[in-house]
Amino acid sequence: MSLLDCKLLRDLRALKTQALAVALVMACGLAMMITTRSLMLSLTAARDGYYRENRFAQVFARLKRAPNAVREQLAAIPGVAAVETGLALQVTLDVPGLAEPATGLFNSLPERGAPVLNRPYLRAGRLPEAQSGGALAELAVGEAFAEAHGLRPGDTISAVLNGRKQKFLLTGIVLSPEFIFEAPPGAALPDNKTYGVFWAPYKELATAFQLYGAFNSVALTLAPDVAEGAVLAAVDRLLAPYGGRGTYRRDNHPSDRRLTDELRVLKALAFAFPLVFLSVAAFMVNSVMARQVALQREQIAMLKACGFANAQVGAHYLKFALVIVAGGVVLGAAGGLFLGEKFVDLYHIFFRFPALTFQPDLPALGIAAAASALAALAGVAGAVQRAVRLPPAEAMRPEAPASYQPAWFERLRIARWLGPSARMALRNIRRRPARSALTCLALALATGILILPNAMRDGIAHVLDFQWDVVQRQTVTVMLAEPQAARVLADFQHLPGVVLAEPFRSVPVELRAGPQVRRLALQGLPARGTLNRVIDGHPAQLTLPERGLIISTKLAEVLQVQPGDTLMIRPLEGEARDLLVPLVGLADDFAGVAAYMEMGAVNRLLLEGDRVNGAHLTVAAGEWDAFVRALKDTPQIAGCYVKNSLREGFRTTTAESIGLLQKMYSAFAAIVAFGIIYNSARISLSERARELATLRVLGFTRGEVGAVLVGELVLLTLAALPIGLLVGSQLARTIVATVSTETVRLPLVLTPANYAFAIAVVATASTLSALLAARKIAGLDLASALKALD
Amino acid sequence: MQTSGRNVTANARPSEPLDRRDPVFHARGLAKIYGEGEAAVRALAGVDLDFFAGELVVLLGASGSGKSTLLNLLGGLDSPTAGTLCYRGRDLATADEAGLTRFRRDAVGFVFQAYNLIPSLTARENVALIGEIARDPMPPEDALALVGLGARLDHFPAQLSGGEQQRVAIARAIAKRPEVLLCDEPTGALDIRTGLTVLDAIERINRELGTLAVIITHNAVIADMAGRVFTLSDGRIVNVRENRTRAPVASLAW
Ligand SMILES: Nc1ncnc2c1ncn2[C@@H]1O[C@H](COP(=O)(O)OP(=O)(O)OP(=O)(O)O)[C@@H](O)[C@H]1O
Ligand SMILES: [Mg+2]
Repeated sequence: MSLLDCKLLRDLRALKTQALAVALVMACGLAMMITTRSLMLSLTAARDGYYRENRFAQVFARLKRAPNAVREQLAAIPGVAAVETGLALQVTLDVPGLAEPATGLFNSLPERGAPVLNRPYLRAGRLPEAQSGGALAELAVGEAFAEAHGLRPGDTISAVLNGRKQKFLLTGIVLSPEFIFEAPPGAALPDNKTYGVFWAPYKELATAFQLYGAFNSVALTLAPDVAEGAVLAAVDRLLAPYGGRGTYRRDNHPSDRRLTDELRVLKALAFAFPLVFLSVAAFMVNSVMARQVALQREQIAMLKACGFANAQVGAHYLKFALVIVAGGVVLGAAGGLFLGEKFVDLYHIFFRFPALTFQPDLPALGIAAAASALAALAGVAGAVQRAVRLPPAEAMRPEAPASYQPAWFERLRIARWLGPSARMALRNIRRRPARSALTCLALALATGILILPNAMRDGIAHVLDFQWDVVQRQTVTVMLAEPQAARVLADFQHLPGVVLAEPFRSVPVELRAGPQVRRLALQGLPARGTLNRVIDGHPAQLTLPERGLIISTKLAEVLQVQPGDTLMIRPLEGEARDLLVPLVGLADDFAGVAAYMEMGAVNRLLLEGDRVNGAHLTVAAGEWDAFVRALKDTPQIAGCYVKNSLREGFRTTTAESIGLLQKMYSAFAAIVAFGIIYNSARISLSERARELATLRVLGFTRGEVGAVLVGELVLLTLAALPIGLLVGSQLARTIVATVSTETVRLPLVLTPANYAFAIAVVATASTLSALLAARKIAGLDLASALKALD
Repeated sequence: MQTSGRNVTANARPSEPLDRRDPVFHARGLAKIYGEGEAAVRALAGVDLDFFAGELVVLLGASGSGKSTLLNLLGGLDSPTAGTLCYRGRDLATADEAGLTRFRRDAVGFVFQAYNLIPSLTARENVALIGEIARDPMPPEDALALVGLGARLDHFPAQLSGGEQQRVAIARAIAKRPEVLLCDEPTGALDIRTGLTVLDAIERINRELGTLAVIITHNAVIADMAGRVFTLSDGRIVNVRENRTRAPVASLAW
């Protein structure tokens, strides 16, 4: 090892805490980037592999019923590569151990052979087979529902098929590329207790619903390079006479969309936040190196005088920075891979893959490492250049004393109250305004990055504790198997314990605004309901007008429309035609996207008279059990959503996963804040070592000398705090906006407690750093600090 | 070093005759102006000189007279504004940065008033560091033995006294066997006794290795150890004195 490298190592050892602080900040940024990028890669790889292996379809369609012969006609459409048809039917379940009724989506398995598309993946047991002669009919159950209820192959479950209650034997636990995200149609949140997916042999399912020889669900893949639109139009034309509700592609498929949204969230988190960390790290490398070069002026001059070439001197200081970067990269990579591996397991809660294995995103690691090395080099370039440019003769002389001037604020009367320490601190800041501004900016960033994680936490809490109850005041929502005349509401009101009942009409529609299309359930509600309410951003309740539509703010963003614009509604059920409706308002909701209309208006749109799909109910707390028992005995009720169990589902899934990310970010942000502040304190200590030693020699006490140093840090911190809170709020707003998707959104909630926390962390970090620096003051070797003076 | 002042005369030696045909440094009309316009400072205003192999030269002069400026030009740390400057026939005045670096690397040893040691390297390592870029360095132990520091090889600069540090700096300067040794106030920060040990080391190297040594000092007494003494004033050489005998270092006192 050359002696210059030996010098490098010893200099680094002397600077170890500072070097560590910089490396840690860099490592936090990298770890975050690598964790999220690796999660993205793992999810994408698992999804793509799964879709390929199990032949996930590209195009989907629902219809009323079509004879099986139509399948051949579908296959004959030019551009269609493969067709699968079958039945998909909603049934009411009676699950052992679950008081309320649950809903099941029963999918048929082909009579012969495996499905061509959307092949189920068998996790345990075997696939169900058609039974003859009184044997118990067989059923396979989706993994999420099975796990929620502890169901195993061999257990039995009851379901109401077409009004007849029937018992099934569970033969296997199954996954499907169609249900990676297993949530009720239209719901953004999984509710694995009351909604499940099942697979049954075609014959039994079809016979029970008198659909034998027919299908109501279609899945297609297309040949490569065909004009998608033309094929889809041909399929639509073919299916229309059979009650076809229009084809849709993967991007409108609920499970796929949810997965895409998750990837979008990760993508947002993989760049914006780590980028802030990495630029902070670059700044820190710069300040450490600039200081180092200034401290080693004489050494640099000597090396040059002795004949070391500029390149050798430059390389020496570049290496110094690179060692720090290398430390950061190693720490960051290790941390990122470790965390990534931990987080991948978490996704099991949401997304059901045959196997979701952790895949380290090594190219991203390489790019991130290169990016941080570049950032650090950019940061260090100025300092190295200064070292290279330093004329050796110049450096033989001590640095010219800095020129000080009284600051403008010292002319103010208040300045007279300042002690000499505060005055010196002020002048130090004024002397190097650019550097002080940069330090202030770094401190502001340290404050700012603390805001986002807690804003996310508060957003979740807000959704759970407030928004949920403001928007949804019902205890339970019950759904009818088929739409019925409005007088059914009276039956609901007579169920035991029911205090309030409010009907709703829900119908699957396609909303169109120019080229943008979304499929969702149009909600028909009373104009100004007391239970399920439409709330705007204030939050104030909106009244549904007789004419016109209100949609989620996020949906308006996706469809690129504003109130006043006109949307086209295409009902996907019944005989109704397309209708143009003005958009009259935007609703602030937090999960999924929705479209609301006054119930009468929906019925007029459907040309069906007064009909309802179900009702929102409030139930007296003491009579819940009686209510649930009665519910199970009401055959026309297909299922229900209990608000609190949805909320619980949110708490244990979405909230938990965001909560873990939030904790990681919070810890990282605190580390970074500490690193920045400690580094600033060390640098100003080093810059003032001689000055402070001189003051000590002149008889100033340690406290008074410390006050000069701490004073400067305190002043800069005070200036940085408000900027940091502003910057942090803006950063949180931006990131919360980028991670808000159609399926899950967080409101931006900025609480005083959040600000107080950021201030407290920064204050603690400042105090500790100041104490550490003050300890160094005590250790200042007065003699040697002055001996070096020339 | 331990010689007492009594046998001064006994130790005095006559200056050896100089070989005046082939100067190591040859300067004519050497000038250096710092800054421009109003703020211009004329640090050197036309210096003519020839320094020869093996001699020991002392530069005297008031503060600000241009001594350091001259030494920096000789050492290739800076380039003159006007005039010619040659080292063994090689033009230094117009040499570029790389040329000057090579010149410093191969031919010059510097000793500074502020020692300029690398604090994170030991005495031995400070000397060995220069060996890494020199063509034919001496072992650092030998160089340190020459300055009487054979026993403090593994001490860091902070563990050495000022005089010891300066002697390490001299060992570092001579370890590459330079042809010239340039010393800018090498004893400026030292007391008499320590200063003498340092001067003794320089003198010994000049004598034993035949190195041309140029020493800047404020102290006229030190001039007695030189073969020739140049006095500068306002950027010019105003006097050149040739000592018939060079006083031994131990006899110097101030
Ligand atoms: N980089 C510079 N810029 C401007 N003026 C300079 C510079 N270096 C030296 N000078 C000026 O040049 C003149 C000669 O300086 P020099 O350092 O050579 O003096 P010196 O004889 O070595 O003095 P001292 O004994 O105090 O070290 C002085 O007036 C000095 O102020
Ligand atoms: Mg000088």
